Amino acid sequence: MELKSAFTRAARGMREEARLHFVAISSLTIAFLCLGATLVVMTNLGHVADRWGRTARMTIFLRDGAAGEDVAQLRMALEGVPEVLSVDHVTASEAREQFLEDSAIGAELATLPADAFPASLEVQLREGAVDHSQRIAERVSGFSIVDDVETYRGWFSQLEELLELGRTASLVIALLVLFSVLFVVGNTIRLAVAGRKGEIEVMKLCGASDAFVRGPFIVEGAVQGLLSSVLSIGILLTAFLLLRGHLDATLAALAGVHTTFMHPLFVLVVLCLGTALGALGSAASLRRYLVV
Amino acid sequence: MGLFDDHGGGRSEQKGKGRPFAFFRAGLGGSQALQNRPILVLEDVTKFHKPDQPTLRCVNLTVERGEFVFITGPSGAGKSTLLQLIYRKQMVDDGRILFSGRDIARLTSDSVPYLRRNLGIVFQDFKVIPHWTVFENVAIALEILSMPRRLVRSRVSEALERVGLAGRGEDVTGNLSGGEQQRVAVARAIVTEPALLLADEPTGNLDPHLALDILTLFEEIHATGTTVLFATHDHTLLEERPHRIVYIDDGNVKEARKGLTDWSSTRASSQEASDARASNVVSLRAR
Repeated sequence: MELKSAFTRAARGMREEARLHFVAISSLTIAFLCLGATLVVMTNLGHVADRWGRTARMTIFLRDGAAGEDVAQLRMALEGVPEVLSVDHVTASEAREQFLEDSAIGAELATLPADAFPASLEVQLREGAVDHSQRIAERVSGFSIVDDVETYRGWFSQLEELLELGRTASLVIALLVLFSVLFVVGNTIRLAVAGRKGEIEVMKLCGASDAFVRGPFIVEGAVQGLLSSVLSIGILLTAFLLLRGHLDATLAALAGVHTTFMHPLFVLVVLCLGTALGALGSAASLRRYLVV
Repeated sequence: MGLFDDHGGGRSEQKGKGRPFAFFRAGLGGSQALQNRPILVLEDVTKFHKPDQPTLRCVNLTVERGEFVFITGPSGAGKSTLLQLIYRKQMVDDGRILFSGRDIARLTSDSVPYLRRNLGIVFQDFKVIPHWTVFENVAIALEILSMPRRLVRSRVSEALERVGLAGRGEDVTGNLSGGEQQRVAVARAIVTEPALLLADEPTGNLDPHLALDILTLFEEIHATGTTVLFATHDHTLLEERPHRIVYIDDGNVKEARKGLTDWSSTRASSQEASDARASNVVSLRAR
């Protein structure tokens, strides 16, 4: 009954102060949008890092005109190494085709000559063999047909650094969002309370407990937080679906992964965070109005 | 109906919490010991608003169950302060106030709501919510007690009927006249059937005719067994009715007239009351 009463009174309060709540929800939506966007970026950077970190592969670029026999010999030698899972020979024309397919850039690069890309051996290492990649690379470099060996370790380290930076940034943004939500919800509820001071006084004089008075305001704060987080997720998802095509082409070409929206768990976290922060901001701002 | 009977869900809400004040209704019920105990006792109550200038000084007052007491005195004499001490809007600086034998000053702030649920309070400025309907304004007192919706409806209708606002539940309170708004406030105060009704200048904003109407309404409520403390500085009301008068001046309380606890019998012996009234008013004016 008390919960029902709190919801009924909250609904009435929100109807009466519709404009105030609209402004608050708009401000909160922007705050949650910042948090959501950061989480999407982090999710995708995480995927890239995960792919490159987990797959542990290396590319052995061959010199132009490397003899087929020498290539086969190198391939056999590599297959004999216990840490190597598989070796694929990618010819110059195959490399070109693969690039065009991955990048989906189309006509501009279609005129490139067949030998624009070097032939290579794509080496897939066994899981857990990442640490051995440098040693294998050093040994392979001794072969005369090998032009260069890419272990992606340097690139991966940079990506890891970038990811760490992103994690810190998202933490800072999350804290900013937290404070802005508390601030916006607190001020909105304070304004709503100021407008309903008479109601609070009457309720307290009739013997209402603090919980009874606080109930509808906490519901209002929670609804504000929930609505704004739902809105921000909705806007972000729409934007993601609209931009996905463009993003996919670029990211697939650069990192070999497709863009994804934030993990469903993160969506749930944002929704819960929004609701909880709204309720908390509201409860904190009410304290001094309850003394009658 | 027992003296400590609960209203609706009030008991379930507090299960195991040990309420300082059980919720009890107006009128009779409960043990004889409780019935015999005065509903309100003020012992050497002192309240300061400015240092060395007490608003109330060593006030001693006993109000028996079922009494109708006028509290009067000039503006600023401390009438409202006295009532505010009873419903714990303010705290005593010295002395104690016993409501049904329990010291109000000792209540923790969490317990104050349970004290107030035993009281009905009516104010000079009505304190109704103008944009709420009449029904909502009255029902809030019962919603606080977690009373089932069906019961709320019937109790509010009953209360509105008692104050002469039957069928006006859906009206927006702000659209009512001053007298009607005060009736809404009275309905809200009595809908929980409190043991003690406090009225702080309830006729202060009304014209003399409406003031008398409201006073009559309080008397009708009193006739059902509710104890009423009616603060007013309007001497015409005191002259009209032969109730006990407590006079406050310069922080001191004086018994100006002993009241007759049974209003109906008072009306029957109106001639006697009229004589007593005349002599009391003379003594009041002499002060």
